Amino acid sequence: MAEHSNTMPGTDGHAAASDHHSHGHIGRDTYYRVFAALMVLMVLTVGAWWIEGFMEIPRVLGVLIAMAIASSKTVLIIYYFMHIKISNRVTQLYAAAAFIGLAILFIIVMGDYFARGWPPSSGPLP
Amino acid sequence: MATTTTTQGSEVQGHGAHADHGHAGHGRELQHHFETAQQQKEAATLGMWVFLVTELMLFGGIFMAYTVYRWAFPDIWAEAAHHLNTPLGALNTVVLLVSSLTVALAVNAAEEGRKQRLIRLLGVTMVLGVAFLGIKGYEYSEKFAHCAGYETPIAWATSGAPLGETECLVPGRAFVFPAAHGEAAADAHHEVTPGQSSPYQLFYLLYFIATGLHAVHMLIGLSIVGMLTFMAARGVFTSVYSTPVEIGGLYWHLIDIIWVFLFPLFYLVH
Repeated sequence: MAEHSNTMPGTDGHAAASDHHSHGHIGRDTYYRVFAALMVLMVLTVGAWWIEGFMEIPRVLGVLIAMAIASSKTVLIIYYFMHIKISNRVTQLYAAAAFIGLAILFIIVMGDYFARGWPPSSGPLP
Repeated sequence: MATTTTTQGSEVQGHGAHADHGHAGHGRELQHHFETAQQQKEAATLGMWVFLVTELMLFGGIFMAYTVYRWAFPDIWAEAAHHLNTPLGALNTVVLLVSSLTVALAVNAAEEGRKQRLIRLLGVTMVLGVAFLGIKGYEYSEKFAHCAGYETPIAWATSGAPLGETECLVPGRAFVFPAAHGEAAADAHHEVTPGQSSPYQLFYLLYFIATGLHAVHMLIGLSIVGMLTFMAARGVFTSVYSTPVEIGGLYWHLIDIIWVFLFPLFYLVH
């Protein structure tokens, strides 16, 4: 109880969960596999860009593909390399909070721009 | 720890309390205000994450500005990005991803208390970090060499081959986007970027700010890894205490994540 009362509320007396968090371990094999996946994704993102050079696809789609691949890489790095998989709940919450914060930033700012008629080719900025 | 008025050491062990500053019951690395080594490690990790969140918000502002202007000027973005060195950018992505692997393996080596392996992996990480900055520096100097009127930085240094057409992609008064490309798009958007002689400047301004700030973080990351190598060589880290390697690694991975987004957003634009 005393051991985890400050950092891990809710897992007291829950031996399995407590054990998972405090002695979790990611093996070297996992690191190599994650790295291989990252390299595949890296080749994919350049390959997609190269192919898009010959194809007439909407620009937004190209950006979405690139961002989806970049996000997958980020998730792999955060989950395995940055040990979020075996971190305690508060740390996991903070990692998630970063992206919730970014989402709020983007939604509110872009929402404001669109409400004022952005991009400006559709009308003058107020 | 119920009685705090007496010397802590005397509570834990009868004699020799002053010599070991009360660390008798555990290793020297456990600070007095933590109860267990695990609690101390979790507090340090959480603190690092709080800092990393603020770092993400810092870069988030730049990505925000990027989104606003790319949304407005997609044609300008597509033309401007073609003047960046995509093969070097891709090479740098590989360099950073490999360095992230070596950092992850270094943290693993530290946890297992394998000192020589830890030092070796941290050393490889520093070599990769310097390689990244070298490649980035070459890309920058290429752009500056063009402003000076030379084809490559080497030609600039040796007064070699001059650049065929006028081009200066470094934001500022001398900025000139090569005339042969995309005049029509430039004219179409000219009136909406007041105070700028060329709308293409916006792309390169964001490029230099984003990659420049990223490079500054690389420098900080390199000094952190250098410090960790020094500490590892002095035998600070053991299988029970390797928190600095862990949180230093977190910082390095964050730099990697930022680049994972910078690369497609600046180098892979159509």
